[in-house]
Parts: sequence; structure tokens; C-alpha cells
Amino acid sequence: MSGSKVPIDPRLLEILVCPLTKGPLEYDRTNNELISRKAGLAYPIRDGIPIMLPDEARKLED
Amino acid sequence: MAGVPEIFDRLAVRRHRDRAARMVERVAPVLREAAERLVGRMDDTTRRFALALDLGGRGIVAPLLAARGITAVSADLSTRMAARGGALAVAADEEWLPFRAASFDLVTANLSLHWANDLPGVLVQVRTALKPDGLFLASLPVLGTLDPLRTALAEAEAALSGGASPRVSPFPTLRDCAGLLQRAGFALPVVDLDRISLAYREPLAALHDLRAAGETNAIRVRERRTPPRALFPAALAALPVEERTITLELTMAMLTGWAPSPPQHGSGRAAAH
Repeated sequence: MSGSKVPIDPRLLEILVCPLTKGPLEYDRTNNELISRKAGLAYPIRDGIPIMLPDEARKLED
Repeated sequence: MAGVPEIFDRLAVRRHRDRAARMVERVAPVLREAAERLVGRMDDTTRRFALALDLGGRGIVAPLLAARGITAVSADLSTRMAARGGALAVAADEEWLPFRAASFDLVTANLSLHWANDLPGVLVQVRTALKPDGLFLASLPVLGTLDPLRTALAEAEAALSGGASPRVSPFPTLRDCAGLLQRAGFALPVVDLDRISLAYREPLAALHDLRAAGETNAIRVRERRTPPRALFPAALAALPVEERTITLELTMAMLTGWAPSPPQHGSGRAAAH
């Protein structure tokens, strides 16, 4: 999905929230994405860098 | 950001910063000079800072923070530019900060917030991301910056085409900055003026430097057609030359503000200016 599987630094997981809802994110290790259920978006992680831009996020299917 | 006029094309800003990530070393000395003056302000305080958020530091600010024992999270609209800041990089839009409230002891922004459409909104989000008694340090180019270039371009374009389109960012004034900090709810807001003079032998070098810093025009209503071939040569030739040198001034507002907290740590500090 996201091309690379460099894991995200755990220190970032502690402070990141969804930029749109400011709600919590789930870390999906398999797809290397950060999921915002409330926004229905999955933010990719590329080379260990979370891309917290709604334009670049994948829309979740229900 | 409903209701906020979109003056800047954020996609263009991202592209400019992506491109600049490869050539920013060209202008590192100027950015570093500004960053050192900015970061130096925290040395006047007795507060200790552990975790910082650096907005748009272009790989220049994070090392200065690291040298002070501060861990920095580097955020930038461009992933490539964010990665220059080190291990803790995040691609983020400063108008939509993706950070939990009260996460940081310090937020820095060195010459990086002037392409935001909603600067008041950015500052409110910065204040929220700060822990109580956290410090916000920002340098912003203000009115006066690149004035000779702005004038030369407008005059050359008027002469060539009978009109002028905006080619230099509309910078705020010092007073605007003070009002912004106050409106965003910062305690003990301080704004003062600082200047860096940039001397060029070759006028074209000034434009190359702006490009390397990611500072090419991103005004939404900018003229998107290729400008008349004669525009830039005419404008550059009209820049005032003294002793074979063209001087452009980077006029900066240095902003200091504290996230409110009783008792305010900032109030016990030596004046930061």
C-alpha cells in the first residue's frame, strides 16, 4: 500500500492526532497507515514519515 | 477553513518546498543566521525545554535545537523538506496541525508561516499544541522585505503590459504580528524587529536564492502565464545598485509568546529582546 515498511517512531504515535477531527488514530501495522475512524481516512506512512495531509489520505470504505 | 480568504495556493507552496529541499543548502547561511537569532531568544529564559515542534525549519532549526539538548519533531508541508529535520519528521499542513493538545514545550517557526492563508488559525493551533507555559518563537518576514524587488517588478510589468500582477508576497506589518499573538491567546506577547541585509553582485542570484529557499510566488491570483521574456531582465536591471552591489533586506518580526499557565514561568525571565 504505502510502498515502504519503515515503522513509525513510537514517540510520534504518542502525539499525533487526525488533523481534521483532532481525534485519535489507530496504527495499522500491516498497511503501515494511521487510521482516523471519525474522518474515514487512512494516512500513509512513507519511509517512516507520517503524511498527515488529508489530500494524500486514503478514503476508508465502510 | 471556511470563511478564510485563500490568498495563497497551498499546493504551489508544497511544490516549491519539495523542489527547494534539494537546493536549500544554497541559502543555508541566511536561514541559519535568522534561526540562530530566533533560537537564541530562549537562552534568556530559565525554563527547560525537552520536546519541540519545529514548523518549516528546512533542516536548519532542528540541529540548533539538538545542540541545546532539545528533541525536535520537524513538520513541513513537503515530506522531503520535513525529512531534512531528522528522525522525527511529519508531513503536515500548519493550518491543520496533527498534534494532540499540550504536546510540546516549545514551538519554533523560522521564516515559514508567511504562506499560510489563516495565520490567526495557525497561531491558535500552535498555542493549543503547547503545554501550559510552553514557548512559541517565530520569525516572520514583514513589510519592507524585498521592497526594491517588489517595486522593480511592478514598474517593469506596468511598462511592458500596462498592468501589474502580484509577484511578491503581501507581508504583514509589525503591528499585525503583535495583534495576532494577542488574539491567539498567548501570554506575554513580544514582537520586535530584526534585519538581515543580503548583498548581491548579480541580480539574478537573488531570484535563485528565493527559489532555493522555497520562496517562489504562491499567490493564488498570480499570473500563471509565462511572464513576458523581458520582464525579469527589465526589473532586475532597475534594482538600485550601490558600489556594484544590490542590497535586499530581509525585515523580520521576531515573535515570542507563552501558552498561558498560572504561575507564568515566562514572567520570571529576563526580557527576551
